[in-house]
Amino acid sequence: MRQVGVIVWKDLLLELRTRERFAAMGSFAVLAGVLFNFSIDASLVRPQDVAAGLIWMTIVFDGLLGLGRTFHLEGEDGAFQGVLMSPAPKDAIFLGKAISNFVLLYAVALLVLGVFMLFFGLEIGSSPLALLLALGLGVLGFVALATLFAAVSSGTRMGETMLPILVFPLLVPMVIYGAGATGRLLAGRPVAEVAGNLRVLAAFALVALAAGAGLFRFVVED
Amino acid sequence: MSITGVRRVGTFLAVVGLLGLGVVYWLSFFWVSTEASQGIVQRIFYVHPPAAWTAFFAFGIAALTSGMYLWLRDERLDWAALSAAEGGMVFGTIMLITGPLWGRIAWGTYWTWEPRLTLTLLLWFIFLGYFMVRRSTENPEQGKRFSAVVAIVGALLIPFIHLSVVWFRSLHPEPVVVRPDGPLLPGDMLTLLLTSLAVFLVLFLGLFMLRYTLEGIRADLQVRARRAAA
Repeated sequence: MRQVGVIVWKDLLLELRTRERFAAMGSFAVLAGVLFNFSIDASLVRPQDVAAGLIWMTIVFDGLLGLGRTFHLEGEDGAFQGVLMSPAPKDAIFLGKAISNFVLLYAVALLVLGVFMLFFGLEIGSSPLALLLALGLGVLGFVALATLFAAVSSGTRMGETMLPILVFPLLVPMVIYGAGATGRLLAGRPVAEVAGNLRVLAAFALVALAAGAGLFRFVVED
Repeated sequence: MSITGVRRVGTFLAVVGLLGLGVVYWLSFFWVSTEASQGIVQRIFYVHPPAAWTAFFAFGIAALTSGMYLWLRDERLDWAALSAAEGGMVFGTIMLITGPLWGRIAWGTYWTWEPRLTLTLLLWFIFLGYFMVRRSTENPEQGKRFSAVVAIVGALLIPFIHLSVVWFRSLHPEPVVVRPDGPLLPGDMLTLLLTSLAVFLVLFLGLFMLRYTLEGIRADLQVRARRAAA
């Protein structure tokens, strides 16, 4: 547990000092919001009707952009070998990496939400808390998969190009239930209507985290 | 079983499967009765579900043997996973081609987000990732591990994908074979469907074993080449 904390602290400190990934992902979020705004003909569809889906797609693309580089900085001068050789078990390293990625991407997701609310003129909806929970659970499941497959793809010649091919087919449940819940909440529907969505998102995140923690050792051995 | 033994059985099954395929085609064109409401297009039914079931079966074997490979690290398990995954891709492709062909006539559209069609498409892409990962590592052993991880994660998340695409929309014909109150199909159609399924499975097993043999021979060649070089 303490080892997980150390990895999280190390990664967040690194991000805080360089602000490399957050700057790129934050700019991406705002710019994507701008482009999406111009891609919609407001005389055909109301921007509010498609906002939930676009919010999730922005989070997914933005997440791949940043999470693909999870192992990049450490990979450059072989520092990751040091992390792997430390006595921390591999599943602790994975969970540490996933949690620091989660903190980063959740911050970006909140920014995405804010940007879309501003640009698309959205109301906060029926329950801000349930909205934050839906985003959090979806981001958690996504981060678990993306962290595991970032380790896989950074071991291949194709690098980050490989990441979407591996992650996208698995994201269908997250997008369906996440965007479904977000859309309903933004439209002011009662929380009870999305309780089922939230439960599936939570179960998805748990299974993805457990799978990542269990399989990470097979990705980074040697 | 030795590699030669696997090859013999594989060849036998593949030949039986191919001959059986000829019989299935003949029966579905000339023997089985025409379905009343859909007419002639319904005959694709003797190819489409058997291909889908065989593909699911093959992907299941691939995920299972991938898990066992990571656990036991026996090369032969990796050969089996690779061979089953390739078989699954072939039968999955057949399913994905025949489905829309039938859908164009019966539903009026080539593609719908029908759950089982969507699920197969996603499985197909998960295993495309399986092959891409495998081929783009410097070290083949690493590729085997990576692809096994892809197959296992895919297998673990398939229930969620299935649940979500069903929840999203359903338009597929209701099951007519596996039902609590027994099959709904007329006798000759059911007979032909089950025959076709058996043929597809035999053909898959034959191809699977031949593909496995090929991997075995390849590994053997590498060992010999290394010995000759030393």
